[in-house]
Amino acid sequence: MTRHLVDVFETMLSMPVTLQPDVLLPHFDSRVTGSVGFAGEKVTGAIYLHMSAPFAATVAATMLGLKPEEISDENEVNDVVGEATNMVTGGLKSWLCDSGADCAMSTPAIIRGTSFSIEPMPDVERECLVFAFEKNFIVVEIHIKLN
Amino acid sequence: MALKILSVDDSRTIRLIVGKAFKPYECDMLEASNGEEGLAAAAREKPDLIILDVTMPVMDGVTMLTRLKADEALKAIPVIMLTAESGRENVLHIAKLGVRDYLVKPFKDDQLIEKAGRVIPLQKKPVPA
Repeated sequence: MTRHLVDVFETMLSMPVTLQPDVLLPHFDSRVTGSVGFAGEKVTGAIYLHMSAPFAATVAATMLGLKPEEISDENEVNDVVGEATNMVTGGLKSWLCDSGADCAMSTPAIIRGTSFSIEPMPDVERECLVFAFEKNFIVVEIHIKLN
Repeated sequence: MALKILSVDDSRTIRLIVGKAFKPYECDMLEASNGEEGLAAAAREKPDLIILDVTMPVMDGVTMLTRLKADEALKAIPVIMLTAESGRENVLHIAKLGVRDYLVKPFKDDQLIEKAGRVIPLQKKPVPA
């Protein structure tokens, strides 16, 4: 998972992100979250990619070759965060499929807000990984259930 | 005459990135946001190359590719698939459907251009004097 997130940010954004294993989950005043679900006979789950709204705008601008102030449409940011989440989930899905747990992916969805949390369903394992680029944090939240 | 390249992806971001990659070359970019629109655009425009996403709403890339290859008038159009999934089964599946090549996301512009250049004769636009 770490490799997939690092690949997406380095390849598409030239942003070298690093895993922060000792950092507590950051609080985002205003958050943009991308989510992509995956489901198969042996495994179901979802990946959530959280970042602050200002950093999401920077990410969108970088991917689109614009300046952050040139991003005027929330939909552009949503599309970029959704696509980044899709690529990260695609990496996990490939690994699951190669390990014998074939599954299909949903199209991305976006959640925006100032104070929300995502609670896993019963029997679903949750893991959060914190990454950083300069002073910005990215959280990858994985919900997974082995059937 | 400039080559026509059709980018079929539900993500505007990816369509912009694909368009940007081909900007230095003599080609006209066409866009569609799902397989259904992509099939219609392919029938109407007869592009020289289709860059096709796999996971899309309305009609996914695999369905579009299957229908494209079943259409006598369209089956010769070369297709490069863009996929977020690099798993063996996924790659084998799309290879069997008759794609010319595939590219796993995330990708760099030059990787896309290299693969496209193997399929169509890309020519750089003249540099203004």
